[in-house]
Amino acid sequence: MSKRAMTKGARALPAPWLLATAAAVCLAARATGAAAEAPSPVHYVLDQSKSTLEFTFTQAGAQNKGRFTRFPVSFDFSPESPAGGHLEVTVEMGSLDTGDKERDDTLRTADLFSVAKFPQARFSATQISKTAQGFEAAGKLTIRDVTREVRVPFTFRTADEHGVAVGYMSGKTSIRRLDFGVGQGDWKATDQVGNEVGVSFALRLTAAAH
Amino acid sequence: MVIRNTAHRWGAVAQLLHWTIVVLIIVQFTLAALAEDLPPLKKLGMLARHKSVGITILALAILRLAWRWLNPTPALPETLKPYQRVLARWTHALMYLLLFAMPLSGWMMSSARGFPVSWFGFFQLPDLVPKNRALYEALLTTHGTLALVLGGLVTLHAAAALAHHFMLKDDVLRRMLPFT
Repeated sequence: MSKRAMTKGARALPAPWLLATAAAVCLAARATGAAAEAPSPVHYVLDQSKSTLEFTFTQAGAQNKGRFTRFPVSFDFSPESPAGGHLEVTVEMGSLDTGDKERDDTLRTADLFSVAKFPQARFSATQISKTAQGFEAAGKLTIRDVTREVRVPFTFRTADEHGVAVGYMSGKTSIRRLDFGVGQGDWKATDQVGNEVGVSFALRLTAAAH
Repeated sequence: MVIRNTAHRWGAVAQLLHWTIVVLIIVQFTLAALAEDLPPLKKLGMLARHKSVGITILALAILRLAWRWLNPTPALPETLKPYQRVLARWTHALMYLLLFAMPLSGWMMSSARGFPVSWFGFFQLPDLVPKNRALYEALLTTHGTLALVLGGLVTLHAAAALAHHFMLKDDVLRRMLPFT
């Protein structure tokens, strides 16, 4: 709402004034980009059964893998004007699956994901930009009760599958678990369970009505 | 002391391999017992060490068998009765077999559990079998049972060595000891 109002304001202003401040230039670039084509973003939702969200971590010096099986996504996006995009991912922490019940139960405890207290993790990105390799979503990632800025690179392609507009989104990044307090007490040690956690995703998104 | 075996005595390399493996087997039983009641993270660390030592034993066992093959094997004392010879042969053969079966069953068990093995964090070993819970349970039982068998054989082996030394008063124990 406020962004739209600003866009309108910027467009109405004379060009010399736009160059006056860096902030205004930024807004103008966004506004003209949107004005040129102005394809309105498509609203996508997740096809959970054909999407994966995985994480890798070192345990006792060896690479291990896990995944989440429920992570609703809401994505408003048009590859032609990424700046207008908005990504919301909600990860149901209880759906974690490392293929080992004992380990999953340990991960759910208070010292790690503390699932009873923090049942969801969230990624909310409102700054999406085009990069040489694809796109990048900058936003806030909340795990447990810690929120931090993260940048997630991703690729995106659209397809028409039997008349349904589909988006394929994938990418990977890495985060440090201790940045989010995942590891209290003894678990702060990183000799057996590494701090670095790789996150990768391959999503099938389907266009939906707003 | 000579490096290689002779017809009457174990050489330095064979002795070093034998006694290093003795110490490591004791370490293995200790680590496994200590890991039992630990909370998850400490258990993880203890078992990581157990796995690393196990892989070390496997490597030493390969070296040991190769060295044995390249060297003469000191003959059993002439005084041994036929059944004692058979018993000694079988005990040794089974212990050699277990030097491989123990680490391999442990390694396979880790793979089946989906917890890959790393050698002291320096490198990760490939998985021997695909991840499979039922297989893991079976291998866990196997690994534990083999450990009991190994414990029994080692006890028999040590008791026999001591009997040779103190009762039969031959050189069977001494020829595996340095400086004797």
